[in-house]
Amino acid sequence: MRFFPRIFAADARVTPFDSDAARFDARRMGMWIFLVVLALLFVSTIFGYLFVRVENASTWLDGNPPPPPTILLYSTVALLLSSWTMHLALRAAERGERAQGKWMLATLGLALFFLTLQAFAWVQLIQENLTISTGLYAWMFYVFTGLHAVHVIGGLIPLLLTTARARRCEYGPNDFGGVLCTAMYWHFLDGAWIVLYLTLLLGSR
Amino acid sequence: MTTSSHTGHAQSTDNYLTFTRGIKSWMFTLDHKRIGVMYLVSVLASFFVGGLFALIVRTKLLTPGEVSWIDADQYNQAFTLHGAIMVFLVIIPSIPGALGNFVLPIMLGAKDVAFPRLNLFSYYLWVTGAFLSVYALLAGGFDTGWTFYTPYSTTTETAGVIPVVMGVFVLGFSSIFTGLNFVVTIHKLRPPGMTWFRMPLLLWALYATALIQVLATPVLGITLLLLIIERAFGIGIFDPGMGGDPVLFQHFFWFYSHPAVYIMILPGMGIISEIIAVHSHRQIFGYKYVAFSSIAIAIFSFLVWGHHMFTSGQSELMNVVFSFITFSVAIPSAIKVFNWLATLYKGAIVLNTAMLYGLAFMFLFTIGGLTGLPLGTLNVDIHLHDTYFVVAHFHYVMMGSALIAMVGGIHHWWPKMFGVMFSEFWGRIGCTLVFVGFNVTFFTQFMLGSQGMPRRYYMYQPEFQTYHVISTMGAYCMALGFFVTAAYLLHSLFFGKKAPANPWGGRSLEWQCTSPPPHDNFSTTPSVGNPYDFSDVRWNEAEQGYEIDPNAVPSKDTH
Ligand SMILES: [Cu+2]
Repeated sequence: MRFFPRIFAADARVTPFDSDAARFDARRMGMWIFLVVLALLFVSTIFGYLFVRVENASTWLDGNPPPPPTILLYSTVALLLSSWTMHLALRAAERGERAQGKWMLATLGLALFFLTLQAFAWVQLIQENLTISTGLYAWMFYVFTGLHAVHVIGGLIPLLLTTARARRCEYGPNDFGGVLCTAMYWHFLDGAWIVLYLTLLLGSR
Repeated sequence: MTTSSHTGHAQSTDNYLTFTRGIKSWMFTLDHKRIGVMYLVSVLASFFVGGLFALIVRTKLLTPGEVSWIDADQYNQAFTLHGAIMVFLVIIPSIPGALGNFVLPIMLGAKDVAFPRLNLFSYYLWVTGAFLSVYALLAGGFDTGWTFYTPYSTTTETAGVIPVVMGVFVLGFSSIFTGLNFVVTIHKLRPPGMTWFRMPLLLWALYATALIQVLATPVLGITLLLLIIERAFGIGIFDPGMGGDPVLFQHFFWFYSHPAVYIMILPGMGIISEIIAVHSHRQIFGYKYVAFSSIAIAIFSFLVWGHHMFTSGQSELMNVVFSFITFSVAIPSAIKVFNWLATLYKGAIVLNTAMLYGLAFMFLFTIGGLTGLPLGTLNVDIHLHDTYFVVAHFHYVMMGSALIAMVGGIHHWWPKMFGVMFSEFWGRIGCTLVFVGFNVTFFTQFMLGSQGMPRRYYMYQPEFQTYHVISTMGAYCMALGFFVTAAYLLHSLFFGKKAPANPWGGRSLEWQCTSPPPHDNFSTTPSVGNPYDFSDVRWNEAEQGYEIDPNAVPSKDTH
């Protein structure tokens, strides 16, 4: 109701739960299921890549592809840091502390920094004439990083909304569901990236 | 009632249809009942369009040779559209989206689904997917078949492939969010007294369905996304020219699309459990077996996808394993059929329209299920693969079972949804026409298939013509049946007798609120008991409906 102030009728029932605690519980469960759905997207992609890589090792056309650009190492560190600041923001929100706004803002900044680094990595590869059409290694690089980046960009929306509320210090012990769901999503993206990055590293050998 | 703005309304006039007024109050509604009705209207409109394409296909097949009014390419597009619309726009969303949304929270005793806004979002995702499909049609159509097999789908000239694949991708997420909503609703919104084993069997079926929707659909989603990338950039893991593998697409596709068969059929089975028990006024036989067989089917459904690929070149060992597990799916399905039969036995059966559809389902599902067994047998499948036998088999399951259950469910809950009674006389006629027409259409196709008529062919050998003509006549008969059905249902909306709260004598919670239900579903928390204990349900002449003996203590046991 806060995010969509006017479309729904004034007496519309935005939640069927009688208590905030029950609603919070349901939101957390819904978020877990949503993360399983997203995990399946990443797992299937990785599985598909491994399937053709192992099955058709002899017809692999890339020869000996280069390792992923070093810039990915920095972006990985940036994402890990953002997970840490997100964690601090959640802890502050749970206790209703002022610091929640600061840490949310830091997370948002690191997320944007991460996306910038990813974009640089793409530019660098394109300059080296490695485009998605070059071969399956390049395909893997662009699909993995692209799929992940789309999820980070999608995550910016809840991140912006919760940051705005956290800046006004609106979260407290009885109401931190928004930060919790954003944090769950953010840690998930962090974990997914580590797995994708490792696959990229191993795929290049 | 806590809605302060509506305390002026008398209790009897508060119903969800007139609770608020105006087109905006429907478009932006968060009420699960209204969203259910919107799904119902949309799905039925798509069913009409998909049906028209089916009639085009059947009409072409009246003659074996070329015809002037539709060429081979247009024919390919017509059957592709028929399949894609019926699977992705009609059957998959039909029962969960329309009937599930309407009855699930009421049956559970809740005010709504767990996430009402997400529910509305799911609906608009469905609308977006439908528009993308229409756009694909206008942009040049698509002729890939509903399975989008690579490398054909990445190389065919038809320009509508990317839009329609995007459409199906969006529809997939609509389905995922509906499933997610239902799982959380059933876990977190059961009121006091509503234990797992006091849930009506439809809820068990919808729960099992939701698990499949959530766990299988993402795999289809990513597969379609990779297909779009491959078509757009000319490279991908399904392209053998670059070291990829088109069979991988088939694995991914069927990893979703076999479980999707159970997304279609499981809710249908749930509806049949309700119809059979209520209209024979008898405690469902083997409640727990029926409930757990839904879960068993959901689990098995993830392990059998390879039976669509016996001729694809996958290894012999995998063929044998998939064949074996496929046979084991027959067990939970048969458990359900036997329990329904045992429920009917010595029940006080009322042969009204809903029950007729229930019986039609049992008959058609048995044929559909049993003809799946020869297809699951390796050596027979080599002969029958890609023939009309397969077409007939899956139409018995998807249309004869899933859609017939949907139509039966519409009749069962029609008085509840709209507060009016339809004509039972015309209902029985409509059902008979559909049932006879269906069998004439598709039983003939078993014979066509076993004699070697391949599916999807525009032209065929003249010796098959007699069968094709009979099959087409059956299709016309079925179309007539559906027109009759549409006519009397629409008629009832305007001229139908007012429905009592409990016209059939049901015991589950949706029959304890008024017809149509109030905005909040229940004015007081209903007492929850065994949903199939009909002993304290009695006829009330003044109401022209059933009522539950107010002195009766709800019995707590289900077995
Ligand atoms: Cu199958």
